[in-house]
Amino acid sequence: MPFDFGFVVRNLPVFLDGLFVTIQLSALAFVLSLLWGLVVVGLRRSDSAPVRNLAAGYIQAVRNTPVLVQMYFIFFGSGMAGYPLSGFVAGLLALTLQNGGYVAEIYRAGIDSVSRRQTEAGLALGMLRRQAFFIVTLPQALRRVVAPISNQGVTIIKDTALVSTISVAEMTQAGRLLADRTAAVYEVFFTLALLYLLVVSIFSGTMRLIERRVRVLA
Amino acid sequence: MSIESGRAAIELRGVSKRFGSVQVLNRVDLDVHRGKAVVLIGPSGSGKTTLLRCMNFLEEFEEGEIRIDGEPLGYSDDGTRRRRPEREIARQRAALGMVFQSFNLFPHMTVLANVTVGPVRIKGLPRSEAEAVARELLDRVGLGHKLDAYPGQLSGGQQQRVAIARALAMKPKAMLFDEVTSALDPELVGEVLAVMRQLAESGMTMVIVTHEMAFARDAADQVVFMSGGSIVEAGPPDQLFHAPQTERLQAFLRHFREGYRL
Amino acid sequence: MFDVVFRSWPLLLAATGETVLLSVASGLLATLLGILLALGQLFAARALRYLVEVWLYVMRGVPLLVLLFAMYYALPYTGIDLSPRVGGILVLSTYFSAFMAEIFRSAVLAVPKGQWDAARGIGFHGWRLMREVIVPQALRLASASYVNTMIMLVKGTSLVSIIGLWELTLAGRQIVERTLASFQVFGAVALIYFVLCYGLSLAGRYLEKRFSYVH
Repeated sequence: MPFDFGFVVRNLPVFLDGLFVTIQLSALAFVLSLLWGLVVVGLRRSDSAPVRNLAAGYIQAVRNTPVLVQMYFIFFGSGMAGYPLSGFVAGLLALTLQNGGYVAEIYRAGIDSVSRRQTEAGLALGMLRRQAFFIVTLPQALRRVVAPISNQGVTIIKDTALVSTISVAEMTQAGRLLADRTAAVYEVFFTLALLYLLVVSIFSGTMRLIERRVRVLA
Repeated sequence: MSIESGRAAIELRGVSKRFGSVQVLNRVDLDVHRGKAVVLIGPSGSGKTTLLRCMNFLEEFEEGEIRIDGEPLGYSDDGTRRRRPEREIARQRAALGMVFQSFNLFPHMTVLANVTVGPVRIKGLPRSEAEAVARELLDRVGLGHKLDAYPGQLSGGQQQRVAIARALAMKPKAMLFDEVTSALDPELVGEVLAVMRQLAESGMTMVIVTHEMAFARDAADQVVFMSGGSIVEAGPPDQLFHAPQTERLQAFLRHFREGYRL
Repeated sequence: MFDVVFRSWPLLLAATGETVLLSVASGLLATLLGILLALGQLFAARALRYLVEVWLYVMRGVPLLVLLFAMYYALPYTGIDLSPRVGGILVLSTYFSAFMAEIFRSAVLAVPKGQWDAARGIGFHGWRLMREVIVPQALRLASASYVNTMIMLVKGTSLVSIIGLWELTLAGRQIVERTLASFQVFGAVALIYFVLCYGLSLAGRYLEKRFSYVH
């Protein structure tokens, strides 16, 4: 069976519609995960032991359960509770909860990697602990975690494919419907894979540029 | 004790500190007078760095008190030894400039930002004003041409001079120097000591922990020899270096002469 | 309120067995493939190395679900007679072997150069050099990330439910379709995954401690 490029070109709009949703969801989930991770790492470093333990428990919980099950839990659960969420919102929520947990751990490693002497230099200048953290430690930590954050972003982009199971018309769903309708199976999945590769490559390329830009000389 | 003019800028009375079972400071008394440069010398482990860190409350101490311009440092004034609120401790620390062995510049900020971050973020000075002060200070330490460089692009000696400017930018009452040349390549030591010498001549109150005996001899108003967590001997440099009274100081100086030729 | 879960327990347990089976089979295969790919990346001739690089790049950049769908849809056209279960295991192990390869490769590269030199100095070379000196050290360096990837793999097995392979997640969906008790059932399913994955990480931590040089 020869590869039918015409098919790909004819159906490009279908793929691009799906791609648009994929990019939208990826971008939102990425930004929200970065922010939510910051909140979680804040709780993880709280002065109150119960809060600390709660945050640690949360991180363990999301890291050790599949994001797909979390999506089902939120999507079908919200319907059962009488507040049905759209597939997009439920998917976004699950992606953020899961990846925020991973991101929090990445931040934590970054923060721990900044020498205590830096905090001390801030305190010696007359900063409060909070100021030393936000002015001195955190900006350095964030610069060091660009590469692992980029990997997490790639995971998010790929995991957006899962919302196809809760009826969101993103790219994988679009491809699947096309494969169901036509027999052009190779063309569909080849194109899908190529488009994902493209998105992932552009994203990680951009992150590499950012990393080079913000890198701090030792 | 009432606040009177003419009393020492930094007063230590009976300062004691232990790490676990080790007594690192043992009832230390010391007066650092306004405009004077006091140099702390002694073998490693003698407690001189810990003492200096206590003066900026980077270390807590269990007994005794330290007064900065008459105000007790770190602990409250009412005799309870309750730790002061964080804001007050930060204010007290801001009044003392500290320079570290490992520079501890903020690597993600330019030289100019390193020197302005204190005045702007802590004292709330307008940025333009802080920058004017910073430029002047950086000129003074010979780095007026490196404003936009990052610490990682500078030599150790240059970084340490920026660190001095950073501390000076807070207009401190006194400067604390913790072995600031120990991490430098030998050929870079001179430029840092020159800045410190100039600072001492300008009348800055300074407490300096160092192994640079020649510098101590030339630039100090008073030299303090510490050993085993106590002050063993103190006095003008001439007296300490040429007529040491105690066995321990004699041994320490002999050791140094053999190593470094004083 | 949780009687749904209790009544469905035998079913969930059987489905857990299926998830464990998928995980173990794909895990073993992924490890083997990962080692081969890592060796290819490290030691193969330039052309082959280049090919491995491209393969790994593709595997890391495409969603697992897309690969599963591709297998599911394309298989009937190839004429290869493969049970969906075997197909699922093949896709899972292929996908995760890419991550395994990266772990093994960087662990080998993380063994200090001095160790290679020292081993060569006392006469080791080739396979014996790897086996006696490099691999034991690399395994210790790789252990934490290896366990993490295994946890990802266990979680990843849930995706085969989407192509109709019966395991824990699909069993959960079926029970929910019958009972509508989505919170309880998916909660229980999540809990089972948690026990599996957390158990794995505890075991990993134990082994890491057990085999570390510093006691």
